[in-house]
Amino acid sequence: MADLTVELNRLKLRNPILVASGTFGYAKEATAFVDFSQLGGIIPKTVTLLPREGNPPPRTVETSCGLLNSIGLDNDGIDTFIEKHVDYLTSLDCPIIANVAGHNAEEFVVLAEKLNAFPQLAGVELNMSCPNVSGGVDFATNPDMTHAVISAVRKKCKLPIIAKLTPNVTNIVEIAAAAAEGGADAVTLINTLMGVAIDWRRRKPILGNVFGGLSGPAIKPVALRIVCQVAKAVDVPIIGVGGIQNLNDVMEFLVAGASAVQIGTASFYSPGLASRLPAELSDLLDSEGAASVSDIVCTLQYPEATPVACAAE
Amino acid sequence: MDAGCSPHDLAGFVPSAVECHGQVVENRCVAKDTWIMRLFCPELAREITPGQFFMVRDPRVTDPMLGRPFALLDVWKDANGNVAGVDFGYVVVGKMTSLMATWPVGDDCVLWGPLGNGFPVSDVDRLCLVAGGIGVTPFLAVTNEVLGAQKYGNSNRIGSSRAKSVSLCYGARSEDYLMCVDRFRAIGVKIHISTDDGSCGQKGFVTDTLRELISSDDCPQSIYCCGPEPMMQAVSELAAESHIPCWLSLETPMACGFGICFSCVTRVRMDDGSTDYRRTCVEGPVFRAEKLCFS
Repeated sequence: MADLTVELNRLKLRNPILVASGTFGYAKEATAFVDFSQLGGIIPKTVTLLPREGNPPPRTVETSCGLLNSIGLDNDGIDTFIEKHVDYLTSLDCPIIANVAGHNAEEFVVLAEKLNAFPQLAGVELNMSCPNVSGGVDFATNPDMTHAVISAVRKKCKLPIIAKLTPNVTNIVEIAAAAAEGGADAVTLINTLMGVAIDWRRRKPILGNVFGGLSGPAIKPVALRIVCQVAKAVDVPIIGVGGIQNLNDVMEFLVAGASAVQIGTASFYSPGLASRLPAELSDLLDSEGAASVSDIVCTLQYPEATPVACAAE
Repeated sequence: MDAGCSPHDLAGFVPSAVECHGQVVENRCVAKDTWIMRLFCPELAREITPGQFFMVRDPRVTDPMLGRPFALLDVWKDANGNVAGVDFGYVVVGKMTSLMATWPVGDDCVLWGPLGNGFPVSDVDRLCLVAGGIGVTPFLAVTNEVLGAQKYGNSNRIGSSRAKSVSLCYGARSEDYLMCVDRFRAIGVKIHISTDDGSCGQKGFVTDTLRELISSDDCPQSIYCCGPEPMMQAVSELAAESHIPCWLSLETPMACGFGICFSCVTRVRMDDGSTDYRRTCVEGPVFRAEKLCFS
């Protein structure tokens, strides 16, 4: 049996298959379809300091091989999350990584400090890149701000830290480098790509919030490209996410350089998928003769001339 | 904001839901642009109750990618009398439903459910169902249950079969679009049809026939309604004026159907007088009319 455990600096997981924030509710909703004990980790929906109502509907629209969403971080705030969800989540037979978003570095610190009281959490993922909230997207578009947020959180929170980064930038490599420098144990690549869907007959945008974030199989090549670029240039463990819907997709991300992956939009249309993948991965690694999943990570063979796009600035 | 604290706080959370394969047993056009599909899916069919729904998907394609929600029309039984699957109605309007209309008998799809809270078990003598277009589909099972023609759900389900009178106010664009009228009639439902063009029944809206029913001796004690939003808003206003309890079944765009995506929200009145977005799939799709804020 291949060894599925993965180490992302201080974050140690029993297997590399996680479910992505914002695509798994607060886990309880998936009880009927998912065997939580099979998952490498659960990242519940983003929590903010204060309650947020979220964006007006329609909040999602399907596009070709993808989903455009503008949920807008609909949540009850950190205090309600702690009061109503943390005990339930940490009672599950699965590592839980809380996901938080702040308007500024101070808010991120307050959120992380509150979560610091729960050592039963496996880690905290910083959502520095939600495209549906003004202010939120700014952090991970700027290396200095990325560094400032992560280093401030690292000072006040003992939990392993993951920085979830946006693809909506010119140079992802320098952002990822800043995250690593600031003390992130790992980076999650990628959040959704900004998009818009239009009903031309009505001359109206389809989403209530006009712009949204694109996810699903349509964005997988972009996510893979970014994983390749960061894996080549930055010494930081990567959690790959973007359009994964089967075992081959998982393998592509691992080979590209991700140490672990998140299943996102696919949970919407294949509810039990994520909990089936670890066993499938184990079987495939055995048949490939790999002793450990880490033997697969970052094994992509590039042509001799390194692709220009992979060069660090 | 999410009120759900534990699974049990969500009215439409279904712990016994399953993700399973469904095999197409029948797929036929029954009215203009309107089809009924019969799937073999015994596990899901044994659990589902009137007003609940399930998601259907073609696993071979990612365009369309997401599942689509469909309400239970009825369950069907095999030759031994065992519940074997579900029937549901759909209107061919987009990419997914156009594809579904091409599925031959024997084809496989994936479905997950049952989902949602369904209609409450009726405990009144005179029930009125108000339907607009394809919104008629959940009411065949409701009627079968309250008139004692069919049991639904697992052995924990305490259905009601006490209604003495079930009326259906059914509105459609024209006669071509009407479906299942004979099936409703056969089980003893009093049918009041209205069409936009007057090609069948009364020319006008369901609210016209409902208003007449309310002022008659057969005035309903409860109203269940499903249809386009403007129609449901008009029906809920009429019910409120007449002091008749009214439940509405919503159809909001959904991505997952079971509460993980937060797409399908609708604005709901809270007990403290404020309003908030709620997920139609796990807190509905059936709501008391006075809880909803229409846009």
